[in-house]
Amino acid sequence: MEQIAIGFQEAIDLLITGDAELYEIVGLSLMVSLSAVILSTFLGVPCGALIGTHNFPLKNALLRIIYTLMSLPPVIAGLVVFLFIMRRGPLGMWGITYTPTAMIIAQVCLVTPIITGLTYNIVRDKAPKVKSLAVTLGAGRLESLKLLIFELRIGIMAAIVTGFGRALSEVGAVMIVGGNIKGKTRVMTTYIAQLKSMGDYSTAIAVGIVLLILAFLINTFLYNVQQKVEK
Amino acid sequence: MRVYLENLTKEYEGRKILDIGTLLIEDGALCGIIGPNGAGKSTLLNLIAGLIKPTEGSLLYGEGLSSSAPFREMTMVFQAPYLIRTTVEKNIAYPLKLRGWADVAIECRIEELTEELGLTNFRKQKSWTLSGGEAQKVALARALSFRPRLLLLDEPTANVDPSTTAEIERMLRKINEKEGTTVVLVTHNLVQAKRVCKEVLFMDQGEVVEFGISETLLRDPKQELTKRFVAGELLT
Repeated sequence: MEQIAIGFQEAIDLLITGDAELYEIVGLSLMVSLSAVILSTFLGVPCGALIGTHNFPLKNALLRIIYTLMSLPPVIAGLVVFLFIMRRGPLGMWGITYTPTAMIIAQVCLVTPIITGLTYNIVRDKAPKVKSLAVTLGAGRLESLKLLIFELRIGIMAAIVTGFGRALSEVGAVMIVGGNIKGKTRVMTTYIAQLKSMGDYSTAIAVGIVLLILAFLINTFLYNVQQKVEK
Repeated sequence: MRVYLENLTKEYEGRKILDIGTLLIEDGALCGIIGPNGAGKSTLLNLIAGLIKPTEGSLLYGEGLSSSAPFREMTMVFQAPYLIRTTVEKNIAYPLKLRGWADVAIECRIEELTEELGLTNFRKQKSWTLSGGEAQKVALARALSFRPRLLLLDEPTANVDPSTTAEIERMLRKINEKEGTTVVLVTHNLVQAKRVCKEVLFMDQGEVVEFGISETLLRDPKQELTKRFVAGELLT
């Protein structure tokens, strides 16, 4: 209990004193997670919408793969991305090992299936009605898809929030591909893991609290956007 | 808009649910489709609307009897109206924006239709706050906004009160008479069919049993099945 209390005190101190290292870590965490979520949204929402509105061979097999990937262990995602981008890997010439770019790619691999799967489930239930409406009002394919995404925007927003939660709290993948290098690829989750292994529990809790506060603020913002859309 | 069907069939899982030899709905018709449950009325309407494809046969539209469905010139109103999650006026504007109408023209059309259907006070209201009758009127206003040449309606007054029913019926007669819109109305209400439609098509088990002038057909049907249906002996 004492460690937690000290952690709280340290968290407040860290935030008030404007610890430069902490702000850098927070900034990188946000940059990596937000970039990954934005990319995953552009990939996952149209994919989920298309799968939900079309029938094609092997659709069920594809859905099973997406559902499996929704619970993909981050270390596996990290390992696979690492094998691709390491110097001797097929994408080794990119030279992005232990960089924020690699961390974003790993998180995209984790978040895209979540957004795709959740979007698919929302679309599947409502798509027939929206599609019929769009066709009878003279909308083309692209306009129908736009209307569908507009109609399901609240559910899609929830899928994005879920994806963001996964990205921000993830540690295994970014640790493997990023390496937790101070000033370069260190993010809050990997920093917490390192502090714990060093026995610095109070600072670890302090950073954890900062992470929670950030998650709360971002989710509050997204919730407010969702509420505005709903009204 | 003229609609011509020839040897049209629709099958679901190997079962034939629609089988129409020939059927011509003339340009400017106000045609009611009646029949018991499972007669194929809604399937026929969905086929004409291009929402489903026939298994066999041809479905032709317009003077030139084109086989491609003119989606930009026809529309459909469903029994349970689906409104876009936005305001009433944005719902009405949606098909006009798709057709590239100018903002001023859209505004004028919205004003005209909301006034006509008693929706002026609801223009800024969100669609999900409307009652069933109001929602159906908005769906009708939206369908009429771009002045379709063919209007298909699947039991549009099944869930609305008598005064809204009267308003919708008045509007259907008006656009048919003044704008020459071809109207095809599926209804379970024989009184409504007689009151609104110029022609009536009676269907049973996926086939057209009888087609003729509504007053004559409903007063003095030729076919035994139609007689039984009009007499209330067949379940609707």
